[in-house]
Amino acid sequence: MTSRSKNLILAILVLMTAGAAQARIKLVALPERAATVIRLDNPNSTLIEEERVLTLQQGLNKVDFSWKGVSIDADSIRLTVLDHPENVTLLNVSYPPNEAALVWEIACESNYAETVRISYLLSNIDRLITYKAIADKTETKVDLKSFLIMRNFSGEDFDEAHILLDYGQAFDQGIAHEETKQMLFLKAPDVPITKIWTFDAAKLPWDPEQLENRNVGIPVSYRIVNDKKSGLGDFALWGGKARLFQDDGSESTIFLGEDVTKQVPVGEKTELYIGDSRDIVVTQRKMSDRQTNIRRNRANQIILHDTDELITAKIENFKDSPAVLTMIQHIPGQWEMKDCNLKYKRKDASTLEFEIKLPARTDKGPAVVNLKMHYSRINVRPGRVMR
Amino acid sequence: MKYTIFTLLIATTLIIPAEAKIDLVTLPTRDTVQLTIYNSADLTLARESRALTLKEGDNKLQFSWENTLIDPTSLEMVPRANADRIDIAALTYPPRVKNLGLWNIESGVSGKVPVEITYLTSGLSWRAFYMGTLTEDEKTMRLQGYVRVTNNSGEDYENAQTRLIVGKIHLLDQIAELARRQYPYGRPGEIRPMDAARPASRRAGVAGEMMMMKSAMAKAPAPKEIKKEGLSEYFLYTIEGTETIPNGWSKRLPSFDVDEVEVVNLYKFEQERYGNSVVRFLSFKNDEKHNLGETPIPGGLLKVYRSVDDRQHLSYTGQSSFKYIPVNEDVELNLGSVADVVVEPKLMEVETDNYQFDQRRNDISGWDEFRTYAVEVKNTRDIPVKIEIKRNFNTTYWNLKKTGDYGEYEKVDQNTVKFTLTLKPRSTSKFEYEITTYHGTRQESYRSSR
Repeated sequence: MTSRSKNLILAILVLMTAGAAQARIKLVALPERAATVIRLDNPNSTLIEEERVLTLQQGLNKVDFSWKGVSIDADSIRLTVLDHPENVTLLNVSYPPNEAALVWEIACESNYAETVRISYLLSNIDRLITYKAIADKTETKVDLKSFLIMRNFSGEDFDEAHILLDYGQAFDQGIAHEETKQMLFLKAPDVPITKIWTFDAAKLPWDPEQLENRNVGIPVSYRIVNDKKSGLGDFALWGGKARLFQDDGSESTIFLGEDVTKQVPVGEKTELYIGDSRDIVVTQRKMSDRQTNIRRNRANQIILHDTDELITAKIENFKDSPAVLTMIQHIPGQWEMKDCNLKYKRKDASTLEFEIKLPARTDKGPAVVNLKMHYSRINVRPGRVMR
Repeated sequence: MKYTIFTLLIATTLIIPAEAKIDLVTLPTRDTVQLTIYNSADLTLARESRALTLKEGDNKLQFSWENTLIDPTSLEMVPRANADRIDIAALTYPPRVKNLGLWNIESGVSGKVPVEITYLTSGLSWRAFYMGTLTEDEKTMRLQGYVRVTNNSGEDYENAQTRLIVGKIHLLDQIAELARRQYPYGRPGEIRPMDAARPASRRAGVAGEMMMMKSAMAKAPAPKEIKKEGLSEYFLYTIEGTETIPNGWSKRLPSFDVDEVEVVNLYKFEQERYGNSVVRFLSFKNDEKHNLGETPIPGGLLKVYRSVDDRQHLSYTGQSSFKYIPVNEDVELNLGSVADVVVEPKLMEVETDNYQFDQRRNDISGWDEFRTYAVEVKNTRDIPVKIEIKRNFNTTYWNLKKTGDYGEYEKVDQNTVKFTLTLKPRSTSKFEYEITTYHGTRQESYRSSR
């Protein structure tokens, strides 16, 4: 045991003086730390479980657990008696003043060398999850690897511990204070992916011609579903940073980009934004926006009207492969579509989603799809923003 | 001078305490190195192959990268042979030392094992730039593309296969910031400082480029080919053979050289955007017809010259930075405002009519305005030019009547029209248009004429 692991001190008290903590006399019989488990399934707190053998005498025993240089949530400390749970009873726990310590009062029916498990939440030791995925050349599947990054800045050295999450491979490893360890804990080959391009009219500029020397990038994402079809689906995937690469077909890879995924429950999907496509160009323009059905108040001010609006969008695919563009349009408030040349899904009251299939470019030029959206907003009250 | 110390130490003992890392040591040299350099971010993917001598059982391998800009979280090692018998289990970043990683390798074989080490590094960059030479009649242009690769990574890369990526990548963290961190993944609960400081650039870079060019000329008279291929949303340029780019140096490489790219001398006039001057554009298309179209053209700066005589004397026309141009897309290079093409719109007449009155408020509630503009367009150049004139009306309630010698006009959006004219050398063209705009309650009776 290194000196640092003495930061956690377990002592059995045989004598108690009355009251003051400073006057407590400890007979220190330091039981060695046996099996240690570092459980990282909670992303916010790390649970340490360690087993120790306590030499307990018949009658009342006081066991002192103290720590220094580490941060332990005192309320989280639990003691579990493993060998004789019926004959060994934890009576109470007391906290001495101004000390990072607690004292267990344990009643024992006989003399035992009792194995106990002490568990507590230890601060400044945690884990991150990272992903590395290598897509094939055709971008239909990825080889997914997940790494557990363990960071120990707790003040405590763990010479040997069983480190585990709630899924994937467990590790028997030590980890020193201020050490970071990266361990491969999950491999999932051939996970199918869907590549998606998204143009959201509320987020991206409409007319690239108005931008001096700047391309409008259409965000590109990979969609991965956490289900059996994907060779996954046994457990929720933890959130973390994902780096995506692609096989270039000549025994090397290129780096496609990185994103953070949130936790992905079973059956759910995650979309990883890798970069922007500049080979799909959307030019959207408002060709008409007129007030109709105008109603005025006595002061002749317009208080209510409808609108007649025409939006056109030219979508050009300069890629040598086909693509499916998800186009999101927004019409606030009450509205009625008068004429729209492409099919859309109404995602909510004000959001329209088009799935636009774009063929590959030809020798003649880019593949072009035109959207024409003629609609009317109804009962618009000037000065009142409808969402 | 070599700034970097890359060490790869192999210790074949079972456990090495962090305090005493050096045990049995071999230092395998880098066999090959490949650099994939991005231009949209300070990012390079380095891939090197080395041959390790492993023993059966547990092996520890130390990799250190002092004075480089490597992102430690990107380090990965993969065996290229006996992959099923070699388990690269964990990578440890030991306490109280920086720029060092220890790999735990469980090997089922002993002897030489080729491995591939990949990592992301900062400090290498490239950019594209272009030179255009117009013929005297300005009908065609010779377009030469170059790339300039700069190494400020702290590491000398010798005989590296160099690949360049064109594309806009999504990054969460700057690689340079990751490389400078005290702890590779930070500390629990730590708020990361956003240190945007870049590595100090060295003055030697500029001189370096010139020297490299000379030596390259002396050694290799034939320019290197650049292989271009599309991957995902990116374009990958692979430079033939290998390159040696010492730290602090840059290298210029020719990317393409095409002659006789047909160009259109396009002039634009839009008061709201360019003021009262006409702005000159050079327009062509990135397609086969223009001897281009093989790959997209990465964004960069183009300097345009014009041949002025038979003895290859040049005149400098101007420069333009342009954006990434996909295959088959039109290119419009803004060369700045000019005085030799003039557009003068003049308001010739103003009329109002069709007043409506609000009896209750005793005021005007609606009216129409008629404005007549005369536009004079002069081409004082000795070559034909194409001119686009945009007019904005600030209202969606308008109708336009035209007179004069121009072709069709195009409605660009709800309040903008575009007139397009082609003018012969040294010629003048005039046209008029009458714009009617509807105001107040007159808007309710508006009907578009188009």
